[in-house]
Amino acid sequence: MAPRRSPSRRLPALVSEHAFGPTLRVRRFRLDNGLSLLILRDPSAPIVSYHTWFRVGSRHETPGKTGQAHLLEHLMFIETKSLREGEFDRLLEAEGGESNAATWTDWTYYYENLPASSWKLAVQLEAGRMNDLVLSKARVASEKEVVESERRDRVEDDVDGAVSEKLYAAVFGRRHPYGWPTIGWMRDIESFRPSDCRDFYRAHYAPNHATIVVVGDVDEADALRTISAAYARFPAAEAPTPRPVRAPEPRGERRLEMRWPSPTEKLAIGWPAPPFASRDHAVLVVLTHVLSMGRSARLHVDLVREREIASEVRMSLAPFQQASLLDAWVSLREGHDADRALSALDRQIARLSREDVPVAELDKVKNGLELAFLGGLETVPGKADQIGFSETVVGDPSHAFVRLEEYRSVTPADVRRVAREVLSSRARTVIRVRRGRARA
Amino acid sequence: MSGEGAGRFVSRGGIVVLVEESRAIPLVDVTAVLRTGSLADPPGREGLTRLAARMLRMGTAKRTAEQTEERLEALGATLSIDVSHGTIRFSASVIARSFPAFLALLGEMLAAPALRPKDLARVVREAVADLSQQRDNDRWLASRAFRTALFGDHPYGRSPLGTPESLPRAKKRDVAAHLAQHVSAPNLVLGFAGDVSTRELPALVERCFGGLPAHAVAPPALATPRRRPGRRLVVVDKPGRTQTQTFVGTIGSRLRDPDFHALLVANTAFGGTFSAPLVQEVRARRGYSYSASSRLGADREREAWSLYAHPSAENAGDCLALELGLIDRFVAKGPTATELRFAKSFLVKSHAFDLDTPSKRLEPRVEAEIHGLPSSFHERFVQRVAAVDLDTARAAIVRRLSSRDLTIAVVATAREVLPALRPLADEIAIVSFDSV
Repeated sequence: MAPRRSPSRRLPALVSEHAFGPTLRVRRFRLDNGLSLLILRDPSAPIVSYHTWFRVGSRHETPGKTGQAHLLEHLMFIETKSLREGEFDRLLEAEGGESNAATWTDWTYYYENLPASSWKLAVQLEAGRMNDLVLSKARVASEKEVVESERRDRVEDDVDGAVSEKLYAAVFGRRHPYGWPTIGWMRDIESFRPSDCRDFYRAHYAPNHATIVVVGDVDEADALRTISAAYARFPAAEAPTPRPVRAPEPRGERRLEMRWPSPTEKLAIGWPAPPFASRDHAVLVVLTHVLSMGRSARLHVDLVREREIASEVRMSLAPFQQASLLDAWVSLREGHDADRALSALDRQIARLSREDVPVAELDKVKNGLELAFLGGLETVPGKADQIGFSETVVGDPSHAFVRLEEYRSVTPADVRRVAREVLSSRARTVIRVRRGRARA
Repeated sequence: MSGEGAGRFVSRGGIVVLVEESRAIPLVDVTAVLRTGSLADPPGREGLTRLAARMLRMGTAKRTAEQTEERLEALGATLSIDVSHGTIRFSASVIARSFPAFLALLGEMLAAPALRPKDLARVVREAVADLSQQRDNDRWLASRAFRTALFGDHPYGRSPLGTPESLPRAKKRDVAAHLAQHVSAPNLVLGFAGDVSTRELPALVERCFGGLPAHAVAPPALATPRRRPGRRLVVVDKPGRTQTQTFVGTIGSRLRDPDFHALLVANTAFGGTFSAPLVQEVRARRGYSYSASSRLGADREREAWSLYAHPSAENAGDCLALELGLIDRFVAKGPTATELRFAKSFLVKSHAFDLDTPSKRLEPRVEAEIHGLPSSFHERFVQRVAAVDLDTARAAIVRRLSSRDLTIAVVATAREVLPALRPLADEIAIVSFDSV
């Protein structure tokens, strides 16, 4: 569909408006080439946060090419047709700006935080690399080494990272799109060629696969003119075929072991869980807080304070679009083994499945979640994060407020039901980390 | 004081209270800082200040430890307590509607800690377990080894965490005496940022903290750390490492040094941005390490200036040799005019991000208060950075830093890296990771 007028003169039309708390509004626009644009005018500080969210992550890769989305994220900072190597950061830092990016299973996003007086530099930089990235042999080779270093730091030499990787692979399966690590298997990273990176870039980096989020002290009409002028010439790309992701097949409890040079044993448990947008995901968040969030949480009281067999207990729930994973992590104290921790954890889960959580305890958890929600709104970049993530994963830029209401609506019966449905010992994978020199 | 904005007052007992009011979000960030840190640990009792700080959340005259934690979380509050060499810092966030109740609880924790012997025994066991768990963290191991080797017997070389030997020596009377000596109104700085009513604060602070004693607390004596001659390498040996964690550095600056801002600009030019030569040479050009940076610490006395990177075991020798070469050039010649101009521009323009939230605006004011610095120290940050030129930057580097006297700490599987590291140092020590 070719526009009749010069793209730079035609401003995108307003598509929808979303309340973002009592006083702020997110306004959605769309360019003819499919680029989505969300603007939240927030004059609370003289800064602007500019995010570009691409609907591509590690689940869009294929076995043998894992880590491609993440490697490309690194390469996006290096060179474009108009910017030589190093110029991206130099231009940004000369204006006092900061920039970074992140890749996970469902998305990749890039951000720039700039003083409001120079925020349009972000438009220039992001538009340039959305369409004109240069992927040379030398740069791909050196950035692969950087990613290998990152992997060694976060996985190969880090017990948390190594166990987490093994847990996801075991729960989902090594060939499941949520089962391989976003950073990629080391042998896949080593084997990438520039042509792999170019193919991935062409397939996924296009205006119709992206959402731009602008939050801060901007004039909306000026922002629309600037962004439209920079991006409207980019052609849309063919939408990649949607790849439905199955929930992992139930296959009974699995028990695995690893060895690690550590003074203490560790225990990790993973359960398949519902996708982020489902209400049960919100119930599970509440449930994990009852068990593990804060010093008065049940597992902390039991394992750390009362029994004194662990120095740390935590749980986390992946915020994935299609299927998710709930995991528990226990770091034992010296002289205590993981079996005792597993028995204690089983008793707490059984109690949760059997008895209603007292309302006062539930209210405590909800207050904590409200505090965390408010903390996410303290900064301009924090608001941009919330909007970009919610839009990309759920399709609603103000979904964080919906989620808060879901937390508030959780009842003791919800928690009991979801505990029974999700935290079954038949669905879980248990990894025990023993002390020793041999690695996984 | 009234309306949104900054405020300061001193309570009747002598607590300095700083406020950054903003009604944008119904949230209050609370900072409470005692100007006492691990420097106050008596010799052989390392970790005592941290144990005492942890005992402050283990119950009060009216509540058990469990009831205290329940109350905190029921209010919708988070609280962390951190001990550095110079401070005990309480950092909290609380939903605005619970702020008065939270402040009452914090006041109760400071003024009337229960100090039950069974809780102290539990806290000691937790602290020993924490030390053990830290050995999973290779970066922490490298940092600890670096500071021990750099500062030697100086108190900056000691860990606020204590040691497995020193922690169990703490008795209830030690903790009680330590708190009685250091918890006092004139030794406390309170900071509130967010949805607070500045009009109501003086009365609220009086009600919650009016019971604190009002005696003055003298800071412990502190000598100036001295550089040890030569290049010293300590290798922390840990099996099965595929990469290394490295720190290289020397004694740096005090906050009060007149050339502090010049050295800050110089360090930013060297390794404080992604465009800086250190990051470009180590990461961008050679891909040695995902992270590479230099940091200028500064405190009451001269703190560390250090470089951090985590090259593979295979590249560790080349990466460290490269870093040493960069340090040689930096100390001999200083930054170039272009590098200095760029660093100044970055620091001046990025200052907007130091002030974009109430809690960020509060933080430098609290820091200035703790260190007894004039408010202009942070208020005139931009002017001070702008005034740095090549001559002042180079003079500061020559006066404060050294490329000859350097400490290098590396966590690695020793036998894999030693052949490449030996030529880099005058002295080498090897320690096991479970002895750090």
